[in-house]
Amino acid sequence: MRMNVKTYINGLPISRIAFGPIMSALHRQKYAMTMLVLQIALTLAVISNGLFIVSQRFEILQGASGIDEPHTFVLTSSGFTENFDPQTSIQTDLAELRQMPNIINAVASYSFPFSGSSDWDELQIDAGSDQNIVPAASYKLDEHGIEALGLTLITGENFSPSEVLWQTESNKTFPSVVIITSSVATGLFNTLDWPSVVGKSIFINGIHSAVIKGVVRQLQAPWDAVGQMQNSIIYPRVITRNSARYLIRTKPTMLQSTIAEVERYLGMSNQQRMIRKVQSIQSLRKQEYGPDIAAITILLVVITALSIIAAMGIAGMASFNVLQKHKQIGIRRALGANKLDILSHFFAENVIQTSCGVFIGCIFAVGLNVFLVAEYALPKLPLGYILLAAGCSYVLGIVAILKPALKAMNIAPAEATKSQ
Amino acid sequence: MIAYYFSLALKSIGRQKGLSVLISTTLGLGIAACMITYSLIHLMSKDPLPNKSERVYHVQLDNWKLNLAALPPDLPPEEVTWRDAMNIVHAKQAKLQAAHGVTWGMVTPVDKNVPPFLGIIRATQGEFFPMFEVPFLYGQGWQNFPANTVEYLTVLSKSSNQRIFGGVNSVGQTLPMLGKLFTVVGVLDEWHPSPKFFDMSFGAFYPPEDLYVPLQIKAELELPHGGNTHCWETDIGDEYQAFLNSECVNFNLWVELAGDQNKQQFEDYLQRYVEQQKALGRFPKAINNILLDINQWLAYKEVVSSDIYVFFYLALLFLLVCVFNAASLMSTKFTAKNSEIALRRALGANQQAIFSQCLTETIILGCLGALIGIILCLFGLEGIKYLYPNFSAFVNLDMPLMLITVGISLLSSVLAGLIPSIKVSMLAPAGYLK
Repeated sequence: MRMNVKTYINGLPISRIAFGPIMSALHRQKYAMTMLVLQIALTLAVISNGLFIVSQRFEILQGASGIDEPHTFVLTSSGFTENFDPQTSIQTDLAELRQMPNIINAVASYSFPFSGSSDWDELQIDAGSDQNIVPAASYKLDEHGIEALGLTLITGENFSPSEVLWQTESNKTFPSVVIITSSVATGLFNTLDWPSVVGKSIFINGIHSAVIKGVVRQLQAPWDAVGQMQNSIIYPRVITRNSARYLIRTKPTMLQSTIAEVERYLGMSNQQRMIRKVQSIQSLRKQEYGPDIAAITILLVVITALSIIAAMGIAGMASFNVLQKHKQIGIRRALGANKLDILSHFFAENVIQTSCGVFIGCIFAVGLNVFLVAEYALPKLPLGYILLAAGCSYVLGIVAILKPALKAMNIAPAEATKSQ
Repeated sequence: MIAYYFSLALKSIGRQKGLSVLISTTLGLGIAACMITYSLIHLMSKDPLPNKSERVYHVQLDNWKLNLAALPPDLPPEEVTWRDAMNIVHAKQAKLQAAHGVTWGMVTPVDKNVPPFLGIIRATQGEFFPMFEVPFLYGQGWQNFPANTVEYLTVLSKSSNQRIFGGVNSVGQTLPMLGKLFTVVGVLDEWHPSPKFFDMSFGAFYPPEDLYVPLQIKAELELPHGGNTHCWETDIGDEYQAFLNSECVNFNLWVELAGDQNKQQFEDYLQRYVEQQKALGRFPKAINNILLDINQWLAYKEVVSSDIYVFFYLALLFLLVCVFNAASLMSTKFTAKNSEIALRRALGANQQAIFSQCLTETIILGCLGALIGIILCLFGLEGIKYLYPNFSAFVNLDMPLMLITVGISLLSSVLAGLIPSIKVSMLAPAGYLK
């Protein structure tokens, strides 16, 4: 039985690999091998760090804003004549827009996710104290706001029409009822039990008391003032300005046709104003995340080009060796090595090279990450990305030598007899 | 001798076409990656006012509430209040000084064929124009008016003049806007400083405004506050004037010091100014003035985002991989002609001659690499324009960049070819002559 096991192991290709000749062959090409190993090492360092940054940016891109992005667009209506009345204009426009068959709802709001501007207020449970201040971006919306933005009210109630006040920029006041996002609720009350916060009082900017009327699951802040993008609060207010912004939510698949229809209608209905900045939320999102999209693109191009270069280096080296060792391979074949032996020789050689590269590459990858963390405040590289990049290196190596190795495998034993 | 090395090198490259192209392409790719990312840094951090950027300063004062930071961790706001803007500008402690802010309003041209439009307006004191070397096509700007003088003057950008007056010299013409009649006193030439250092609230590469009006107009007509507005007082009242009297910051304040005036003098003045205001009960925090010249200000605002530096370092590593790659390919290339070199050695060529010849070959490959690199770079920069649309107007491969590209290619080809060349020149000929 023991005998059998031994024969079986000897029968495996791995045990037949002649490590001695491989090592001496590698040793003889010290310079070229060093270059190759360094290439693999640097490639691993760049790929692991690059992929990590890419994955982080993807996460940012995928973050939801809480509103019905694909079916929403915004526009600005700017009055320019002396006797233009902003409030009447907004009321007429919204009443008309809400009538249109393809529109789910519309609301006037200066701020919306990706709009880039809004007030930020400070919320507290106790008046005046410096304890537990939660910053929140404030949205001013009427009772149609929740439906127009497509928010999910997880507990409590929407504003009633009587709570909504129309105010101007210079005389705006703080409301007595508010709706907050779940993230604000957690920040203030340290709880995940949303219904429990409804009816509780909070203080805005230390002095203005307001009662929480409802909690929405998510509503992203229009801009990042303090690194708390999920903190938003809604006041039952409509702030009138000469330049008013409308946010309009359409029925699915009706976005493009509705944009055209609304633009035409509003342009004609009131000649004392002009309609500008008509944009879908998705195009605004694309602008907002432009730098992240750029980062992903550039990094992926670099990673791909680097992989190709590294693979070409490995393949070039292997082809050269096959060419040089033509006769030697023929002799080995003539002395009894089968095709599999030749193939496994090249694979083993490649695996040894890659392993050296991976070993040094892990050190490089960590070193590069330490540098990026120190200089550019990037997060620490998780081990998983190094392992992933190491796996990629092995696959890359094997793919790269496949062609030269197959060529070597098919060298006929008769080559041994030919002179060079 | 050089000519002989050159012809030998060309022959050798011709004989090993595939390998030579591979080496040059590898180098070219690495160089292109490096140069594309470097050009972003180079172009984004260009000095927008090279003649005097070290004398033009951005002023920051910390008028914030005690125990509260205007900007994290504990930095003063980047804009100043109306009161401080007025006080410091009218004190005339520098050669030139101007406070300015952005606002907007309807422009309603007399010509009925020109539709009214919402103009983005910079309200500024007159020394803005000479301080930032704003080029005029027609006319000129205005003086820094005393605090109570309201003059309905305007300067148009070149494109606004095109839009409103069809591009003719409109100086002296009347332009109705913001519900008043303004007189055009100047028209600018093409002007798009990059970065737009004097007010980056809409982004560092945002185009300048359509029109300019005196700063006092903003208060007189109660125009909206564009750009960044930050307040820490909770109730400032409803009146427009209350905003101007408040601690709300909205105005960019810049000064240009005279050639013989040093920064310390102006800093001392600011120190005295803040102490004086403290005596009046303002500025509750410790004095924290920041005076930065244009390039320091651009660095402070991180105009070149850290992303771009990260890309550059990764591209640098990419170039290094390409150099290693080219080095191993070159080593292969030279090894393949060992017997030829042995023959030359046997016929009397010394080690130095072999080395020079190999290095010549290397440098030719480097030049080819530079060419490929520049071509790839041109394509790459088109991609960059697409990825950074706001910045696209400024993307081009200028002369310094071209020279750097060629320099880097030669350097990297020598780096790649040096050791293989030395190795091959040290070769003992005997073994290869059999």
